[in-house]
Amino acid sequence: MIQAADDIVIKICGSAGDGSISAVEILNRAAALMGYHIMNFDAYPAEIRGFGKSVGHTRISRSVLLTTGKYTDCLVALDDVHAITELSTMSKRGVLIYDSKPPQYHQEDQAVAGFIEPGMIGYGIPLRELSTIAVRSSRSRNIVALGVLAALLHLQAEYFETAIRKRFSAKPETVIDNNINAFRLGFDYTLQNVNKYDELDFQHHVYSSNRDSIIMSGNEAAARACLDADLRLYAGYPITPATRIMEILAKELPLKGGFVVQTEDEISAAGHVVGAGFAGARSLTATSGPGICLMSEMINLAVMAEIPSVFIDSQRGGPSTGLPTKTEQSDFNIAAFGGSGDSPRPVLAPTSVPECYLLTRIAFDLAECYQTPVIILMDFFLSNRFEDIDLNQLNSNVFGRFTPQTAPLKDQPYLRFEVTDTGISPRAIPGMENMFHTVTGLEHDERGFPNYGKANHLKMTAKRHKKMETLVRDWQETGTFGPEGQLDVGFISWGSSVGAVMEAISLLNDQNIHSGGFFPRLLSPLQTSHLEVFSRRCKRIIVVEMNYTGQYANYLQVAISKRMERFTRVDAEPISSEDIVNWIIKDES
Amino acid sequence: MTQKHFVIIGNGAAGNRAADVLREGDSHAKITIISDEFFHFYYRHRLKDFIVGNIDETSLTVRSSEYYHDKHIRLRLGQQVIKIDLNSQLLYLKHMELVRYTHLLLCTGGKPRMPEIHYRYREHFTSMITLDDAKHMKQQLPAVKRMIVVGGDLISVQITKRLLNAGIEVVFLVDRDAFWPLTFSDVIEKDFNRALRRAGAKIISDDAIVNIEKLGHMAYQVRTRSGENLECNLVGGFFGLVPQVDFLVGSGLDIDRGILVDEHLKTHFDNVYAAGDCAQVYNPQLSNYWVSIGWGNAVKLGEIAAHNMLGSPDTAIRPPINVLDYEGIEVKTEWWQEVS
Repeated sequence: MIQAADDIVIKICGSAGDGSISAVEILNRAAALMGYHIMNFDAYPAEIRGFGKSVGHTRISRSVLLTTGKYTDCLVALDDVHAITELSTMSKRGVLIYDSKPPQYHQEDQAVAGFIEPGMIGYGIPLRELSTIAVRSSRSRNIVALGVLAALLHLQAEYFETAIRKRFSAKPETVIDNNINAFRLGFDYTLQNVNKYDELDFQHHVYSSNRDSIIMSGNEAAARACLDADLRLYAGYPITPATRIMEILAKELPLKGGFVVQTEDEISAAGHVVGAGFAGARSLTATSGPGICLMSEMINLAVMAEIPSVFIDSQRGGPSTGLPTKTEQSDFNIAAFGGSGDSPRPVLAPTSVPECYLLTRIAFDLAECYQTPVIILMDFFLSNRFEDIDLNQLNSNVFGRFTPQTAPLKDQPYLRFEVTDTGISPRAIPGMENMFHTVTGLEHDERGFPNYGKANHLKMTAKRHKKMETLVRDWQETGTFGPEGQLDVGFISWGSSVGAVMEAISLLNDQNIHSGGFFPRLLSPLQTSHLEVFSRRCKRIIVVEMNYTGQYANYLQVAISKRMERFTRVDAEPISSEDIVNWIIKDES
Repeated sequence: MTQKHFVIIGNGAAGNRAADVLREGDSHAKITIISDEFFHFYYRHRLKDFIVGNIDETSLTVRSSEYYHDKHIRLRLGQQVIKIDLNSQLLYLKHMELVRYTHLLLCTGGKPRMPEIHYRYREHFTSMITLDDAKHMKQQLPAVKRMIVVGGDLISVQITKRLLNAGIEVVFLVDRDAFWPLTFSDVIEKDFNRALRRAGAKIISDDAIVNIEKLGHMAYQVRTRSGENLECNLVGGFFGLVPQVDFLVGSGLDIDRGILVDEHLKTHFDNVYAAGDCAQVYNPQLSNYWVSIGWGNAVKLGEIAAHNMLGSPDTAIRPPINVLDYEGIEVKTEWWQEVS
């Protein structure tokens, strides 16, 4: 399905080193300069080795984008054998651009053009030959291909040239000139030699825009939030897909007086973070499922000792090392419940790149306000996808203001874990005068001294849970989406799946299936009252998430009596709106 | 044992019928149809109605992709064979892929014939053989007030009538040589002119084009031998078809007006056959070759070729003479039938 002539999913596929990813980066930048929205999600193999498949995947549209699109409208093949494996994602009227003059004939079934399905359109372009003319080697095939794309899709060439200049700004002028030359050759060749048969068409439109926008990934947004939130310590152990956060902070944080420590493992990283939090410094670590498993003991300590600390879990396919470069949302259980005892902690789930920024910033406030570890559940798809962000979006806060309380000076002995109406105790940083206190992972009394008494344990357990009730009360965002009133289908989803569900809701409403959504960003503790209100409006409730058992659905089902249906997927790909819509329509008919 | 691979070049009536028969006769063989057109198998004779909007594109389609999928027939569309190595049984595709075959059937059809006398200004002629041509013409028609049609083959008659009905002024320059491959007799000429006049066309006979000049976008001036200068938006050149066999020159196949095949539609290479408009079929009784035209005949030849490729001998028999009432013109023909 082609969404619209000016809403186009493009993939550039090659071997590692062919420049697929950097070509898409230039394409994104050029499109954003022309005022289009982009959403980009690249795919690459888990193994670190050369010559694996590398796919730059982007969607460009006039409209705000919620997903990267299920079907490819235009595939550029820089490597035939790899590109053949991408053909299964092509839309029925998709366009294939391939090299018409490879160094030698392909054997049967080794040429991507040989697999063009009826209805698809193939354009053979001498990518290698044009690149050789431009730079005396085939290495600029990717840039030639951009020229072809620009001419074929009717995108303005000058914006690509600006984007190329920006991309290679650190390189010598000859490199920039060569690349612009390669782009021009591809562009001119296409204009002069290609008869356009396809429907993909941006019509040379450039949308004047006052948007102060930037292209950013989820990881970059989270890292930027850390910097803006005055992070003092990042401690971490590299792991896909979270490593990029550490890479950015390793460069940027020391410039702001902060510290980055690469620890020997995830346990140590969590220890650093909890330690820094205890000392009053904003601290964070970013990891993935295998890492959060190792960190769970320290997280539990932070719950018991009420130490502000922030943990990003960028989920990937599991269990164990699982599928390092594939996306999944299967860490809800460990994020919400991982650890011994009753161990409540807030779990947040951003649904978009801007929310990776907003919720990371807020996580620091929550951690300090409620004196707790906070876990942010991102995933591979969210971490690595790029969106054009309106910078004004990063200033909006619909979630609430969370101001930490500091301990007032009193005549009485300081009670670090004083039981209050809100559950929140006055917090003192070690070293504050007259605020001596003890902190331990053992059950303790209000002063922090170990106390295993039955009544004390009950009181302190209730206190820790009371903080979560206070958070639920303070959290302002309702998570509801779509039309008001009664709904034929009510969707609940979280994290990176929300975009696809929003898109599905729009498509279903177009087909007169009245649909809406409840997308909490605060996954746990549960906003039961919002959920109840929403569920009363729905004839059917469907929980959409990327795990096998429906982890979040199971959690919600305990809170309300209405039966919840589960739309769960673990096929290593983001859920698509088409899959949801087809499932509903099949079910409704 | 090597799996049989029947490759058919051409996605028209002959090729598709052959593919059906081959699949019925051999459920295990690999069957591939290769066509340089991007479109599904379509009713070529409906193009005239398509260009004026009488029917839409979906009404042209004979078969969708599901059909081929179900029959396990590999359809390679938009792929052009540029060379054949008959000794190695290899096809060279334009997109730089080699395809091996065990049995080859050539159903490449026809292409517009361009008399040498018009070569100088041939790029100014519009013709309509393929769906691509038709789409192009359909796109242009809203801007056409006047069209000059040169030629006289039956496609030109069909198109002229549709254009007149669509309110376009048509000047028809009759070219006796264009009624190819049939003989343009005095009787046919009389019928022909009468039918066109009745439809509303302006007929110019006993004259010929000597030059076409492009004046601007969709603006042409046609000069005739008698000194007349005619202005128009399009010039249609309809001089009949010739077999599409250019890529076979030098392959070792015997080629005259078409690919020469025996009565079993086999070339002098083992396992290489030809059927449809591109084939010149030997008739032992006449000791001569004949050429077929038309959908029904293409289907029949495709079927016969497939039988022979499967090892069941079948012979192409010269068809009886038909009298065809074609758009009001009576034409005696041996192989000329249309299905609607």
